[in-house]
Amino acid sequence: MPIIVDVRGLACPHPVILAKKAIAENEEVTVLVDNEIAVENIRRLAAKTACGFSVTEREGGVREIALVRTGAAGQPPADTDAEAVPSCGVASEKETRPIVVVLSDNHMGRGDDVLGDVLIRTFIHTLAQLKPLPATIICYNAGVKLAVKDSPVLDDFQQLAQAGVDILVCGTCVNYFGLGDQIAAGRISNMYDIAETMAGTARLLRP
Amino acid sequence: MEAQKFMVFLFPSVSYTLKAEKIIKEKGVAYKVIPVPRHISSDCGVCLRVAVEQQGLAAEALQGLVTWERMVLL
Repeated sequence: MPIIVDVRGLACPHPVILAKKAIAENEEVTVLVDNEIAVENIRRLAAKTACGFSVTEREGGVREIALVRTGAAGQPPADTDAEAVPSCGVASEKETRPIVVVLSDNHMGRGDDVLGDVLIRTFIHTLAQLKPLPATIICYNAGVKLAVKDSPVLDDFQQLAQAGVDILVCGTCVNYFGLGDQIAAGRISNMYDIAETMAGTARLLRP
Repeated sequence: MEAQKFMVFLFPSVSYTLKAEKIIKEKGVAYKVIPVPRHISSDCGVCLRVAVEQQGLAAEALQGLVTWERMVLL
């Protein structure tokens, strides 16, 4: 009798990891999954570890996968840790990784500051229309000048903040430029938060 | 609450838009430079947006100084 591994409801990459562990310890494994990404990851696992693979549709979107070792009897499948990287799909990655926008200057691009000023204003205006919205906007160096009282993008920042976007303004930079009493958007932050936020995402947007 | 209506002024080039911005700013008209909305085609990617109530004021300020291509209601 194959052992049954029920991975329904688990997020990628847990299904393929649990399936891999089970087939390493058992000759035959039945895996119950509820999404196509898990099916494909387990299909690749089977191909790489030379296991027999078959999938049967069950009720309610459940797929029953039968994994059977086809190698030497009693030998666990070759370990393919190095290459068996589960793919959790572009869509799921897109949904889970927050977008962090880094404004390190009050201009967009290099070359001409008059043009750079127009570009940054239109960029920030357009940010508010992005779907999904960025999770965080970080302003540092001259980027903090965008968050002052008479900033031309103040209304855009306010709209973004209202929509739940966290706007971090570098306190050191505000102090350096003497803008302490003029910041009108976002919250004063520090290098710990800034570095952690930047390190915590794979999607940094820098105009 | 009814959504705020805007009028955008479209210009033939970025430099026209910037010149117009300067004039409008001096006149104290509330404005915003925004990217030309996707549904409007224009060679120049940026345009000047004013509240619809202020379009007369803006047009008057620009008259004879900067020519605009057209105005579009948003």
